[in-house]
Parts: sequence; C-alpha cells; structure tokens
Amino acid sequence: MKVSMNWLRQYTDIPVSDAEYESRMVMSGTGVEGMEDLGAELENVVVGRVLTCENHPNSDHLHVCTVDVGGEEALQIVCGAPNVRAGIEVPTALIGARLPGGVKIKKGKLRGVESQGMLCSGDEIGVPVELYPSVGSEGILIFREEYPVGKDVREIFGLKDTVADFEILANRPDCLSVWGVARESAAALGTQLRLPDVTVKEMGDGDVHDYVDVSVEDEEACPRYAARVITNVRVKESPLWLRQYLFAAGMRSINNIVDITNFVMLETGHPMHAFDLDKVKGRKIIVRMTRPDEKLTTLDGKTYAMTGRELAICDPDGPTGLAGVMGGEESEITENTRQVMFECASFERTGIRLTTRRLGFRTEASGRFERGVSPKTVLEALNRACQAVNELDAGDVVPGVIDFYPHPLGTVKVDCPVDYVVRRTGVALKGEEMAELLRKLYFDVTLSDGVLHVTAPEFRQDIEGKADISEEVLRLAGYDRIPSTRLRGETTQGGLNDKQRRHQCVQNVLTGMGFYESMTYSFISRKVIDQLQFAPDDWRSAPVTIRNPLGEDTACLRTSLLPGLFKTLSTNQRAGNASGRLYELGNLYDSAKKTEDGLPLERDTLAFGVYGNEDFYSLRAVAEKLLRLLGVSYTIVRASERCLHPGRSAKLMSADGAELCVLGQVHPDTAEAFDLEKETFVCQMDLDAVFAVAVPMGHVQPIARFPAVERDLALVMPDQQPLGPLMDAIRAACGEKLEDIRLFDVFRGIQVGPGKKSAAFNLIFRSLDHTLTEEEITSLVKKALDAAASLGAVLRA
Amino acid sequence: MGIREELESIGQGLREELRTVQDTQSLEQLKVRLLGKKGSLTALLRGMGQLAPEERPKMGQIINERREIMQKMLDEKMRELSEREKQMRLEREALDITEPRDLPEVGAVHPTQAVLREVLDCFTGLGFEVVEGPEVELDKYNFELLNLPKNHPARDAQDTFYVDDNIVMRTHTSPVQARIMLSRKPPIRVVCPGRVFRADEIDATHSPVFHQIEGLVIDENVTMGDLKGTLDAFAKRLYGADITTRFRPSFFPFTEPSAEVDLTCFNCRGKGCRMCKGTGFIEVLGCGMVNPKVLEMCGIDPERYSGFAFGIGLERITLLRYGITDMRLLYEGDLRFLRQFR
Repeated sequence: MKVSMNWLRQYTDIPVSDAEYESRMVMSGTGVEGMEDLGAELENVVVGRVLTCENHPNSDHLHVCTVDVGGEEALQIVCGAPNVRAGIEVPTALIGARLPGGVKIKKGKLRGVESQGMLCSGDEIGVPVELYPSVGSEGILIFREEYPVGKDVREIFGLKDTVADFEILANRPDCLSVWGVARESAAALGTQLRLPDVTVKEMGDGDVHDYVDVSVEDEEACPRYAARVITNVRVKESPLWLRQYLFAAGMRSINNIVDITNFVMLETGHPMHAFDLDKVKGRKIIVRMTRPDEKLTTLDGKTYAMTGRELAICDPDGPTGLAGVMGGEESEITENTRQVMFECASFERTGIRLTTRRLGFRTEASGRFERGVSPKTVLEALNRACQAVNELDAGDVVPGVIDFYPHPLGTVKVDCPVDYVVRRTGVALKGEEMAELLRKLYFDVTLSDGVLHVTAPEFRQDIEGKADISEEVLRLAGYDRIPSTRLRGETTQGGLNDKQRRHQCVQNVLTGMGFYESMTYSFISRKVIDQLQFAPDDWRSAPVTIRNPLGEDTACLRTSLLPGLFKTLSTNQRAGNASGRLYELGNLYDSAKKTEDGLPLERDTLAFGVYGNEDFYSLRAVAEKLLRLLGVSYTIVRASERCLHPGRSAKLMSADGAELCVLGQVHPDTAEAFDLEKETFVCQMDLDAVFAVAVPMGHVQPIARFPAVERDLALVMPDQQPLGPLMDAIRAACGEKLEDIRLFDVFRGIQVGPGKKSAAFNLIFRSLDHTLTEEEITSLVKKALDAAASLGAVLRA
Repeated sequence: MGIREELESIGQGLREELRTVQDTQSLEQLKVRLLGKKGSLTALLRGMGQLAPEERPKMGQIINERREIMQKMLDEKMRELSEREKQMRLEREALDITEPRDLPEVGAVHPTQAVLREVLDCFTGLGFEVVEGPEVELDKYNFELLNLPKNHPARDAQDTFYVDDNIVMRTHTSPVQARIMLSRKPPIRVVCPGRVFRADEIDATHSPVFHQIEGLVIDENVTMGDLKGTLDAFAKRLYGADITTRFRPSFFPFTEPSAEVDLTCFNCRGKGCRMCKGTGFIEVLGCGMVNPKVLEMCGIDPERYSGFAFGIGLERITLLRYGITDMRLLYEGDLRFLRQFR
C-alpha cells in the first residue's frame, strides 16, 4: 500500500530519517517495501513569470522571452512552444536543472540567441494530467493559480514528498489506511497522534429518508449498511492536494465526489461508493443476492452474468452494482449529477472473495473487504466523507443517516495474566510496563492482581485472546528483547527416521559409485505418461490429477521417475557432457492404492541412469551392488517395460516374488521421444519393496584357515543358454564347498561351432574344517560338470 | 703343478675375475665355476686323495681356509653388485610424476540434500526427531487445523494446487505438525523435511515444487526465548559462530506471536553487501509460538502446554549457502553444475 508521507505527517510527526523510520516500522510489525522520493529526478525547476515574449529574429516558430524567476535580473530564454506569451507563469528550468530521465539543462544558443534556461511542459517535468489538469498536450504547462516567482515547483505538484510502500500483514486490515499507519507510526515512534475530529455540517431541514429508501435483505452478507445523501451537488475537479494524495497512492483523480470516496477509503480503510440518486430507480436501494438470470454492467463497461451467489446493490429493476467490488454504470457520477448517496458498508469477506474469484478480477475495494472491514467504524468513515464534502464545498449534506446495523458487535475484552505474557515471550516485563505498551497501541488497560484487563480499540478486528495480547506487548517492547535460551525439560530421543536413514544409505552407495543426485518436479504431463505406453490397467497410466494446474506440465502427479531422469540425461547429453551417472530419489503417487486417510499412496522410489562408456551390464552391476549391500537376494528375469529395449531389460525379483527394480537400455522409440542422443541405460527401484526385505548386517564368518583349490572349466553350450541359471545350477550341485564361481570369458566362433558359445569359469573350492583331498575335488568338479550337462553345457574339447 | 700352486693360481684368477665382473648373473656363474659341484676348488678338494695321509689334514685345513676367504670375496662382490643393480632398477623405474591421469569419479548428493544433512544433523543433535508426512495432503491438516479455515484470505498467500475439494498438494510442511500433535503427547521435539507445492510459475526465485524443513516443540513452559535459542544454535552451526538471528514481528495464522527471522548476512558477515542489500541481514525463515487455537484443535491443552514452530525454506538457504542466483539450476541436473558440489 502506497502512502504519501506528507499525508501521513498530517496526523503524526515523523521526526526521524526515512531509513530510521523504515526500520522502526519494520521492527514493530509494519513492513515497508520501499520509500520513493517523488521529486528525486527534478531539481532547480521554479516558477517563472514570462515578462516579454518576442519573435525570434532567425526563426518562424521560436520566441525569445524574458522570464522573472525571482533573481536580480530576468533571464532570457528561447522557447518554441506555441502557447507561450507574456504574463503567464510557467515551470522554468534554470541552468544546471535536472529533469526526469537524466536531462541536464545547460546554457546554450538557439539560432544565435542565448538561452538561459528552459520553459517546461508537463511531460518534461514528469507531471501527468492526473496530477495537474491543465498540463495539456500542446506546449508548455501554464499555471492556473498564481505562485510567487522562484518557488520550487515540486512543492506545487506535491513532488516534494516521499511515498512509502507499506506491506500490511494479513491480520491487520485496519492498517490498510493512512489512519492505521499513522496510529502504528505514532506508537512506534512515541509521537502524538492527531486524527481529525469528524464533524459534519448538515444543510436544510429535510431528512435522508425523504431522499432514499434502503433495505438489506441479507444481513449475514451485509452486517452493516450506512448511507447519507448530498444535494445540490457541485461536481468539479478536485483540489491539487487531493489529486496529489491520490496520485501518490497510485489512483487516478476523476472528480471531487468520486475522489472523496477514494480519499476516505485510503484514509480510513473503508471502501465507499457514490450513487447518482436520480438514476436509482424509485430511489430505492436493495441489498440482496443476485438471481441466476440477472445481468450487470459495471463501471468499466463490462457486462457479467450473475449466478445467484453474488451480493448486489439493486434498485427495483435489478442489480446496479456488485456489493463491495464495483459500482454499476447506470448510477455513475457525471458532470450532471445533482444528488448523491454515499454508501459505506461492511460486507462479509468470504462472499466478496468468492465473487471476485468467480469473476476473475479484484478492485481496491474488494481487496479490503476480502481481508475484513470492521462494521464498527463504518459511520466514522461515512461522516469523514461528508466532512470532505463540506470542506470542498461539493454539495449540501442532507440531515440524518441511514444505518442498518441489526447486530452491533460488542467490544473485545481480554483478561491476560502478566505472568502469561512473560512465560510466552520469555521477556521479563513488569505488569505496568505491559499496560503502558498496550495503551500506546490504543488499548484500554487496567492492571489488578497481576492481570491485565484489556479492552481492544474498535478498529482492531484481530484481537481474540491472551496470545494476541502477548504479541502486542512484545512487538512494541521490541523483538530484540527476546532472550536466547536453551530448551529445558525431559530429554527426547532425537534422530533420523527410517526413510531419511535409508535415503542416506542409498545416497552414500551411489555417490561412491560416481553418481550425482538430480531433482525434478513431482508433476508429469498426460502426454509424457502416454509416451511411456503403460498398459491400460497399469496403475501408472491413471495418475492423480491436479484440478487447477499451471499448465499441461503440472497436470498430473508422476507415476514414474523415468521421464524426469530422461529429461536430465538428455539435458546433459545435449550440453556435451560426454558421460554421466545420475540418480533421483522421490515419491511416485499411486491413485489406485489409498492410505487410511484416503490419500493416494506415496511410493518411495529411486531411479538412476547412465550413458557414455556404459552398457546394460554396468547398469545392472550398480543395481546388484546396491541390493547386495542391503542384504537383499534377488533373481534376474526379463522385463516387459515398453519404454525399454525388449532384449536388453530385466527385472530383479525378491525371493518372495516382489519386483524390486526394472532396468535396461532405453527403447529407441523412447530415446527419440525424450531426445536422448546417446545409448542410455536406466533403472527404477521400488525402495519400499527393497527395504521390506533388506537384512541388517549380522555376525561375520570366521576366515577359512585351509587352502583353496581352483579349477577352470570351459563349457560349450547352445548360444541361447543363459549363464545365470547355469551358474546357479553349478552352485546348487556343489554346495557350500564351492566358495565362489566366476565367469572370466565368453567366446563365440567357428572353433566352438555355429549357434554355440564357450564360457570359461573359475571355480574356487574350499572347506572350512579341512584341506580338501584330491578325491573330494574330483568329485566336486564332476558334480559341477553333471549340473552343467543337464543344461546342455559340456566340457570344451 | 702342486696343490699349493694350483690353489694360488685359482686365487689369482678369482681376484682378476672379480675385478671385471659386471653383474650378479656373471658372478653367480663364476661362483659355480669355482665352488659348484664341478667347480675348480671342489676338484682340488677331491684331488686330496692323491696326497699322503699325513699331509691330508694340514692341506685340508689350508684349502678350507682359502675356500672361506673366496666365499667371502664372492659374497662381498654379490652384495655390491646387487645393490648397484637395485639402484639401477629404481632409476629405470622412475616415473614422470606430473603426467596427468583421469581421477576416479565420486558423485555427490544434491546441494539441497547436502544442506539438509547439515540441518538435520544440527537438530537431531538437539534432541529433535525427524518425522515426515504425506505430500498429497488433506485440506484439514494443511489448512483447517492450522487456523486457516476455508476461504480464509491468508490462504491466498499460498497458491494451492488442488486434487479435489478436500485434498491438496501440501503448501508447506506444517501439516506434519498437526499430524504429530494429534498422534503424540508432549514433550514433542520434531523436524519435518519435505517437498511442498505452490502454483507459482518457474523463474529464478520461484518454483512450483520446493522443500521446507518444519520444526515443532511442545512442552510445558516453552518460551519465545527458547525458540530464539534454538534458532541461534542452528544459525551458528550452519553458518559460523559469529552469525546471529534477528526477529521481526510477522503474522502466520498458526503462530502467535509470529516472527520473520533474519540471519547475519553470511556473505559480508553483517557489514552490508549486495547480497543483503546493504542491511547486513538476510531473511531466512518464519516462526512463532504455536497459536493456542491450533493446540486446542489438535487436542493439546493450551493452558498447560506451549510450544514453538518454525519453517525453513531449504532451497533458499541452499542458494544463500552456495551463492547460487538462479533456482532453476537446482532442477536442471546439469553435471557441470552438480560436479561443483563435494
């Protein structure tokens, strides 16, 4: 919220620098986003009176003027504006002046005639028509009022002002106003608050009820509705000071009546509306919910279809304005307006919020109502507007007030023990100090028996209980008084949870193998899910969907980590990183399985991928190593994942048949779809399944003291015989005396015959309790060969 | 030639050969020629049989003495030559120790995870337990139990992704607070790290997905001073002993009083620089005393217990920690970025 500091200074002194002010406000709870010096770019531009104005001897459009700027001698200035003439007062840039946009004025000659400055247009000194109506678009700015020559023009335009941009906390809608900020400023700085006495001078002997009839049909949506009427309205432009205040707040001046409503909103925080009473059918205002067939044209000329859920200001013919959001076009104030009704009301915030949500726009007024406008202070604001009418001579205020307020809110009283505040804040303040601080914030306080009996000021809507009182005391005492103490009490068992622990374990293993961790979003698009070609009955093809996504990319929650990994790998390949090992840890969201809360099951998942000097086996080795480190045993079977190469993909299954991971080379179609230029290998592991069968490390085995015997066997077999099951068969046949079996060569060629391969194994036999005899070894080798033979593998000749 | 002469000649020959022999292999051969089974000295010993029996002992003694002397000479030479050969081998094997080689690749955890480990380390050391909750969350836990009823304007500050009317993508890690309070009895000391979601378009400082670390303490007589003390410990542990916290008044529906917490700028150590916009402080987290209304809704007696909560933006402290200016780098996974973390 932007506020002119000049305006604020009307109501309290600010005897500190801008920086100090900002810091004092921030530390007492009113955020300041910035302070902007309005006239920072304008220097040495003063009021000058054109004494003489002659044609330039060498030009058909330039003039040579003498200009009085209050110095000993008049200046000679060459001016090309068509509207320059003797006798006018004009903003005059002196030699050395600075203008917005970094322009500097220097002495110079224009077609041979010396010029000692420049007569300025509104544009040149950054004064728009909203601020000074006679700016005009042609030529120089001519002052309409008379000012002393030599006066700094910044004062005239209100540019000798700083605009503070306040950041008001959500619980303090009362501070969305000059008065609110003035109250906080006075409290923070310890200065006097000087809010105006609001008095209204009524004219004539009529009564407001003779002019208009108001009925409120929905008192829940509209707990208070107040109105006053102005007759003999004199619609004209607003005085400069009012235009300046509005300009500083970023609002446009319209006319005195509309400007008064905006002025009061900015000053008091109460949005207001002005109706041209002659345009209100039957002079009857009805506040009610719309009906589904109704339409409404707002002040900005747009027509909206109503749904029956908006609160509207209506006349007998139908809605003329959206309550608390925007007025209607019909009853707009124009030059011809003779009678005005000012509305000041309190509308329930949820309704306003839903209406603006539905219509898709917000106004200054609706923003304030959404955050809460107190019904208690409505009349004061309404009267402030009438006072402004008096002061600006904008019309005659009709006696009487319409005030619909069926259920007046009571005052808020809180009893708060002094001890409670001390215990909560940790700051050892005395009761009397607390009372004093609260009084500075306009609370009414008495202290007895260690209890603060507090009455909240009317404008505060956020005070509900003791905790609020403790905060008020603390923020004014200063948060810097909070001591730094250590927790005391019963000790608690701290530590990582299982998931963090398992993640750290996975991270340690993978980073040790050269992997880097990446992180991608939890969202996925429908298109990407389709590209992965899951079967229709696969849970992964039916993701959790987001009702209000930012776009296609945030439409669904991921059911696979692979697309994110593909994207990361593709980014690296295109960036020219020759090889890469990357992993991600994260959740998949399973809409088919629900938690006991009815939420989609979140599956803890790991995905990793490799490319560049890698192959299927180097990828599988990573998965296997990880599983073995976790004590998980597994079998390897072929996978049928559509995004992977059918001949180069596998699933690792646990002993009880759970799928632990799926891995393999990315299918060429998928690689193309995800822009993977290099052969890429990926694995996705279900960590919940893995950790369900993980075995913590147990007792270690004693070291074998007896010698091992090694035998190498080269076996020839049909090419399609998988080696894994063959080795399993040999292990099973030899039992525990086979300490290890390792593959060290695979050979295909004419020597072994077509359609065949030779695989060479190194077998290590050992017994824990004796040295193996020659007979035992022979017998073990025979068992191995018999097992191999059963699978069609024979000793190579 | 008599035995004595022969002995003399063998000795002479040995001395000459030892002068010229260059390597251990030749020396070994020389030894065999002299002392081996068919060696000349061995032959001489065998020739003793031709001597008169009374001469034998004396002659035997002489030959053995000579043999020992020769053996010593050979051993001496052997030591000398092996030492020389060893030295030559070491010289031969010398490497260009500056010749470059590829280093083994050791990866790294994600920068946010590295920072998370430090943070969790700090809090677990203070007796906090790490707990987690679901990322897809009930509106009840994410908002209602935290004093954010439906259509409350403060909900606007958190642009929420909705799954349906009652299910949201959690907008903060605070729902875990509610879950913990409902399921446990004080004393409670927990930290809850995790992913959170806001409907924000991606740019240098915004992302629809990011991480928070929530902290919650509930016990008897917990004060805002304890909150400050805890966060001071955190700040010093992560950023150094000279770092302090500054509390500013703020508002969150679920805490009262609430505070924004600034830390001494870890770039300039408080002197004022571009990173802290000259203020010497950097805004890092929000916190406060748990609102009694929240305690009550979560079944904890607010008259007996009090507590504090805080929420730290993990990405934010990561960006600050490493001087990263664009948040998008964290989610691209470019190895040129990730390899810088160790």
